[in-house]
Amino acid sequence: MRFRDVEIKKLSETMWEIPREEGMRVPGLIFASEAMMGDIVRDESVRQVMNVAYLPGILKHSIGMPDIHWGYGFPIGGVAAMDAEEGVVSPGGVGYDINCGVRLLRSDLTVDALRPKLRELLATLHREVPSGVGSTGFVRLSAEDEEKVLVEGSRWAASRGYASAEDIACTESGGKLPGADPDAVSAVAKKRGRNQLGTLGSGNHFLEIDEVAEVFDEEAARAFGLFPGQAAVVIHSGSRGLGYQVCDDYLVTMADYMRRNAIDLPDRQLACAHIRSPEGKRYLSALTAAANYGFANRQLLAHQARECFLRFLGMGPRDLGMRLVYDCGHNNAKFEVHEVDGKKRKVLVHRKGATRCFPAGNTEIPEAYRHVGQPVLIPGDMGTASFILAGSPEAMRVSFGSTCHGAGRRMSRTQAKASVRGKSIVQEMEKRGVLVASASHKTLAEEIPEAYKNVSEVVSVVHDAGLARKVARLRPVAVVKG
Amino acid sequence: MKRHRFRLLPHTADLMLEVRGGDLPGLFSSCVLALFSLVVDRRTVRKAEDRTAEVTGNTTGQQLFFLLREALLMFTVHGFLARTAHVTIKGKHVTLTVAGESLDVSRHPVDREIKAVTAHALAVEKMPGGYLARFVLDV
Repeated sequence: MRFRDVEIKKLSETMWEIPREEGMRVPGLIFASEAMMGDIVRDESVRQVMNVAYLPGILKHSIGMPDIHWGYGFPIGGVAAMDAEEGVVSPGGVGYDINCGVRLLRSDLTVDALRPKLRELLATLHREVPSGVGSTGFVRLSAEDEEKVLVEGSRWAASRGYASAEDIACTESGGKLPGADPDAVSAVAKKRGRNQLGTLGSGNHFLEIDEVAEVFDEEAARAFGLFPGQAAVVIHSGSRGLGYQVCDDYLVTMADYMRRNAIDLPDRQLACAHIRSPEGKRYLSALTAAANYGFANRQLLAHQARECFLRFLGMGPRDLGMRLVYDCGHNNAKFEVHEVDGKKRKVLVHRKGATRCFPAGNTEIPEAYRHVGQPVLIPGDMGTASFILAGSPEAMRVSFGSTCHGAGRRMSRTQAKASVRGKSIVQEMEKRGVLVASASHKTLAEEIPEAYKNVSEVVSVVHDAGLARKVARLRPVAVVKG
Repeated sequence: MKRHRFRLLPHTADLMLEVRGGDLPGLFSSCVLALFSLVVDRRTVRKAEDRTAEVTGNTTGQQLFFLLREALLMFTVHGFLARTAHVTIKGKHVTLTVAGESLDVSRHPVDREIKAVTAHALAVEKMPGGYLARFVLDV
């Protein structure tokens, strides 16, 4: 397989190595099938995997997941682990939407039971869960409360009655990452975040009602509380304007740091600073604060969705059984311990459009799931499927405990819009059995299912590569798009 | 309304713009208007008040990057939409004046959220008869 003048070596049916060339500190490694690689080499994502390999302190490989596509700086679907002592942290390796992630709520209802009321329920969710540009949340944060959100994350939500102890236990890192410093977050970022807590946002963010269509791993599905025919809710959102602003602010700081420290990289958007530098430490404190905001945001969205179901259906919480299965981010940089060259080392794992997927036995996993592995939530496009996976041991050996994060785009937004000209997306989706409500028709056109890779193929690659195994497939039945 | 001169180039995830201008101030103001045109139909925006922003950059690329960031903040932080834009450049200093009004969702249906102006592949080039800029917006 070739990308311009670079020969990409096939290591196995699911692994491809990009050899080191001058400037690259490590080789590149992409997880994909042969057919997917044929598409991947058509855009700039391979070049971006190679560019990431230039970063000081990068270990083993610059990694691309099967949902990889052309981003800015890092590819989307990229993973890079840096030595915690000698390495760098790069805001572009996390992305603007810090701790963007996915949350899955299960219920005791079946979709068949919901179906007669589905249209009305969707309208209620669309009305009551704020989405789209300029929307504001139901919580009005004071400056003091916002700082608490930045430090406490989902635990702030629990202190206000918007989260249960079970919600906290089933959120990655307990919904609170340590080391957040609100003073490292600019006044502009805080201003952007003040009225956006509990809002979905727009673009590819969504709230879906799904049906559990297929179970692949009965033991894990049982542990996660999933059964065929079940109604579940999937929420995809992040840290909103606050996170975008943190990334934007620190890219400028890092660009200045690179000039002063003569770090030369092939893309300005890879701007970075050494982890141990004051600039690196300050960014990590701000990143953590924004990540905590992201956890709290999804918690409030889940609270509102749950309240909508309870009120609309006139049920009690016990009968509804709407419990959080898991919440995991896919845009973050976290300190973790991994084995490198036969030794345990503390590393900073950048995941930009990639999901942590720790295997069974890892103490980071909630106790209820520790025997089957960490739940991994992989949303697909709005017309096809989403998948629930469980982390597998091979991921610790080859991908720093990481896997894919979604289907991954294959079509530009302009192409997507051109392909649907004159059609009603809402009607087209309804023919496929999916009800859709959206704040913006243009966003909807850009998010058509055809704009994305086949999520089943993406998931098959990570399953076959041993990064995460398939537990269940979900089928969307009603979608609120931001 | 003066027709803005920009087109979208293929980019898988985000929006890559190519903008043309007769001179640098014209190019920069077209870039700002292109950004606002992707947020809202500018024909719905009235010229009710002026807002200004000043940036400093050592290169034309830096100047454009900082200018676009400030323009985006006018919307994301202050909810202000621009109908027209005027740019002056004196050495390293760039001044942007836009005329427009505050977002009113009943009259301004917002097309999309622009998360940020990225530095990825940002370029300002002199061409026969003027200038050309390329930049990527994260959406």
